[in-house]
Amino acid sequence: MALPLPPGLTPPEIAFLCEMELVTVIPRQKLERLELLGGSLPPLNPPHRAPLPLWLALLLKRQRRANILPPLWLSPHSLTAILDHETEHGDGFSPPPRLPPLPSQNTLPFSPPFLPSSTADAAPDALPYHWLELGEMLLETAADDFEDPDSVRKLLRGLREVRMAKLRQVVETLDAAGGVNMNGVGGMEVAEGRTFVTGVIDGLRKIVTSREQQKKDRDREERENGDDYDDDEMEMQ
Amino acid sequence: MALQQRIRYRQAHAPGATFLTYTPNGKKLITAGVDNFCRIFSTGSDDEPVTVDDVQENNTAIVAGAGFFIAGSEDGTVSKYSLENNKFEEILVRTSLPVRDVALSPDGNWIAVASEEIAVKVVNTKDMTQIQILNEQTRAIKHVSFDSSGTRLALSCTDGNIYVYSLGSGEPDMIKKVDGMIKSLESNAEASSKVLWHPDGRAFATPTASREIQVMSLSDWERQRSFKTSHSQDITAAAWSPNGALLATTSSDLSLCLWDAKTQKLLKKYDDMKATILAMAWHPTENILSYTNNDGELYIHTDIVPAEHASLLQKSVQPAPFFHDPAEGRAGIAANQLANGTKHVLPERRARAGTPDSLDDLLGSDVMDDDDAGDLADFVVDDDGAGYAPAINGHGKRTNGHLPALQSPKGKRRAYGSSFQPEIHEGFQPGSTPWRGNRRYLCVNLTGWVWTQSQESSHHSITVEFHDTENHRRFHFTDPFKYDKACLNENGTLFSCQPSSGSPAMIYYRPHETWTTRTDWRTNLPAGETVTAIALSESYVVATTSANYVRIYTLFGLPIRVYRQKASPAVTCAAWRDYVLTIGNGPVGGDGMCQLLYTIENVKHDEIYQSEDIVALTPNSTLVSVFFSEEGDPYIYDSTGVLLTLMHWRTNGQARWVPMLDTALLSRLASGNKQESYWPVAVANHASGAPKFHCYILKGADKHPYWPQPVLSEFGFQIPLSSVSDKKAKDAAEDEMDLSDDDEDSAAIKKTVESQQSTLEQALILSSTLHTQLSSTLAHTRPTSHQRQALTNLEVDIDKTLLQLLAQECLAGEDRGMKALEIVTLMRDANGKMLDLANKVATRYGREVLGEKIRELEERRLVGLDEEEDV
Repeated sequence: MALPLPPGLTPPEIAFLCEMELVTVIPRQKLERLELLGGSLPPLNPPHRAPLPLWLALLLKRQRRANILPPLWLSPHSLTAILDHETEHGDGFSPPPRLPPLPSQNTLPFSPPFLPSSTADAAPDALPYHWLELGEMLLETAADDFEDPDSVRKLLRGLREVRMAKLRQVVETLDAAGGVNMNGVGGMEVAEGRTFVTGVIDGLRKIVTSREQQKKDRDREERENGDDYDDDEMEMQ
Repeated sequence: MALQQRIRYRQAHAPGATFLTYTPNGKKLITAGVDNFCRIFSTGSDDEPVTVDDVQENNTAIVAGAGFFIAGSEDGTVSKYSLENNKFEEILVRTSLPVRDVALSPDGNWIAVASEEIAVKVVNTKDMTQIQILNEQTRAIKHVSFDSSGTRLALSCTDGNIYVYSLGSGEPDMIKKVDGMIKSLESNAEASSKVLWHPDGRAFATPTASREIQVMSLSDWERQRSFKTSHSQDITAAAWSPNGALLATTSSDLSLCLWDAKTQKLLKKYDDMKATILAMAWHPTENILSYTNNDGELYIHTDIVPAEHASLLQKSVQPAPFFHDPAEGRAGIAANQLANGTKHVLPERRARAGTPDSLDDLLGSDVMDDDDAGDLADFVVDDDGAGYAPAINGHGKRTNGHLPALQSPKGKRRAYGSSFQPEIHEGFQPGSTPWRGNRRYLCVNLTGWVWTQSQESSHHSITVEFHDTENHRRFHFTDPFKYDKACLNENGTLFSCQPSSGSPAMIYYRPHETWTTRTDWRTNLPAGETVTAIALSESYVVATTSANYVRIYTLFGLPIRVYRQKASPAVTCAAWRDYVLTIGNGPVGGDGMCQLLYTIENVKHDEIYQSEDIVALTPNSTLVSVFFSEEGDPYIYDSTGVLLTLMHWRTNGQARWVPMLDTALLSRLASGNKQESYWPVAVANHASGAPKFHCYILKGADKHPYWPQPVLSEFGFQIPLSSVSDKKAKDAAEDEMDLSDDDEDSAAIKKTVESQQSTLEQALILSSTLHTQLSSTLAHTRPTSHQRQALTNLEVDIDKTLLQLLAQECLAGEDRGMKALEIVTLMRDANGKMLDLANKVATRYGREVLGEKIRELEERRLVGLDEEEDV
């Protein structure tokens, strides 16, 4: 069936997934506990902080019913440190946040979006999987909750450029059996890089296949010739 | 003496810019002008002045210390002259461009030289090889000025900014660039932009472009009051009187004005000047103002302050004209903010009375007070370092080695033997901040916050805002009474104001909502009584007053109790439902501070739970805040950053203070490169049931929150068991563990086990403390089902933690069996299954002997033997 969309997730889909991430809000009005399909939400009781999924936080923020506390890694200080790390180490991405210790018994191990990687007490020194889209969304809706939104915006843009440049660069090593370490690459970056990288790989594959085709053709020709020869010999015998 | 003769006019120099200075003791007056000599006039004598030759021409600045004076000239030299033989001594500094100003530090050891060069040189007057260069500014400096402690230097730059440097030990450091205060002037302009440090050291003033004298406070760099001078042209000189009570200004419009610093009112205007006055100097002690003009003339204006105001000059150092003097609000806090060693005088401090029969009284003041007295004062010269003269540090100051270590700066007053005064704890209102600029918080808590802003000193405007914007609406009103204390809760807001000109102190309660018309009420206190603190609970209003009364009203203003507080003067109070906590100063403790005593009572039952018990503070620390938690337990926060709660406070004699959180041990400070403090707001239970400490995090050296309002932060409790460095080592070990997951490094494992153990220990003591607290609360109140559930949860938590500890001990080996058994005996065994479980744990690890003992214990508990044995 002809699907008009390119393979993989589109950026809006990634952003939608990102809205499951938990962020910390300071509510400005009371709200009872909500039982939702995705789990129950804590009761809101101003000014106590509460972790909420991003979609609800943004909704409340737009209605001025809450303030969102940006995660620590979105502070200009941390972003500058991460950006420095990115520019200094040209060969890899800054490491993703450390995983929490495994839960003891037979509960399922957590993965994003159920990790508290974007709440106010998240690790300040690492970019989580949804860093780009989360940062963009928070800056768009809750810019007044940032201490210095302009510099955060600038740093995010800087980080994006540096990391995308790296992602494009690794394509050079992608021919033949080359592999790339993608540790620490965010969801939106994968989505953005996908068209380019897959395009390159497809192109490479085409070149390689045409070369292989030629080789195969030549082989076949040779084989055919050889076969003839063999046949001749066979006949000779 | 004829009236006209009061103004003695002397032709000091050839017509042209002329400058003057007094020696520190005021005996001599030295002038410098365009010609190549300086003149030394003796105060109170009409004799011909002494002339000092070998001076450069076109002098632009002159300063005098004890026994010497220093003149700077347009040819770029700054020379030092001796006052003993009135001879040239040496050239201290040479600059490539004309010198514009010279300032001498109060101790006479350093001069700052401003020239047309950009850099300002600070040179030691005794050793000109000691030199510091200040070059943060972008253009030439017009004026330099030392503050009264000599540690700060203000440069008035020709680019219209003021650069304030700190000259502590080590490199000079620019601490502030003040923008927009002064006019941008050419460095040789007649008009002045000089920084005038107020003698109390907490503020400075400068002439502004609009010909005002603007005062700025040093602690927060906020503009304070200004003197609206009526000069029609630029101000050319201004000077504070030596005690800071008066300000003299003059301008090119040929008038000279005297201002009362306290009211900023004009006291006297002299407008008969013949030429523009370029320099003015107050006599250090007498009612004389001398000034020189740009015509080479010197005026020694005796009795410059009219007789009816002359008493102003006799006062001790007056406070600088702040909008809201921090010293008036919470003197203790405000004074602590000043840098150590800064000379500050609180308004209530009395001047020391003269010693009866002192040498001066017997011999007359003139005998010893010659000019040489300045030298005599330090005639013991420690030239071989034997230590009989006080040692001086690199800055020419006495070190503080001669002071006993115990004495804090505030404590110095105690050194005067007979005039011993205990240090009392100043009263304060929990959750309020002192004035900063024209705003302050009156009350901050989890309901909302109340803040006030002063409007042109005639009235204030008060804003009450809420965290929960749905239930309550923020409101705002104009406040002619100038309320200075407020309390806020879900039901209403309580204000109080101090008595002012005729009207007594007042308490004002304003409920948020009622089902009838709004029933706010006001009540006046008896005349002369001021309010030290107020508190508001769900059912009562409490006020402690200067007459040591505790006054309790109902929510509708019925006075129901008035009694005198035993511990006085009152410090603060807090209230929660029927409970009232008052704190007052008690007997003097070992550190010279009064111990704080608290009393907790139940107003409804008229029962006193704790009477005059001690608020446990460490020596030299002060109380910062006191409040009841959401659950109704008293908490205090002290200046060392420890949050303490009162345990068993409903049983008389059983109360004790338990530290719940030491903010100095927080892991966020572990890196050591963060400087922040925590301003307590409240303790409340999180949705998960764990109590949290809510506070504002203040960056740097701030002590109080300001605008924009910081975000409330919350921290879980952490009873101080181990220090940060331990924790850090453990964290590092954990990191290591994460990295080397595969190779079974036994050392790393051991460390992880240890860190687990310390986490468990922390959890154990925390939950058992909370359990004790909650169970004692429940024993005295009707428990809600929620609370009962919380108590059971805590019990289960304790036993669970103990089980985990037991498992660790079992894992460690057979030889730890004794400790394992001890852990088992600690179990509360709320549901009767815990000992069973403990037995199972022991069996699982194959500790048969331990299992045996646990079973024994279980049996003993069943028959109830265990309890008796313990007793």
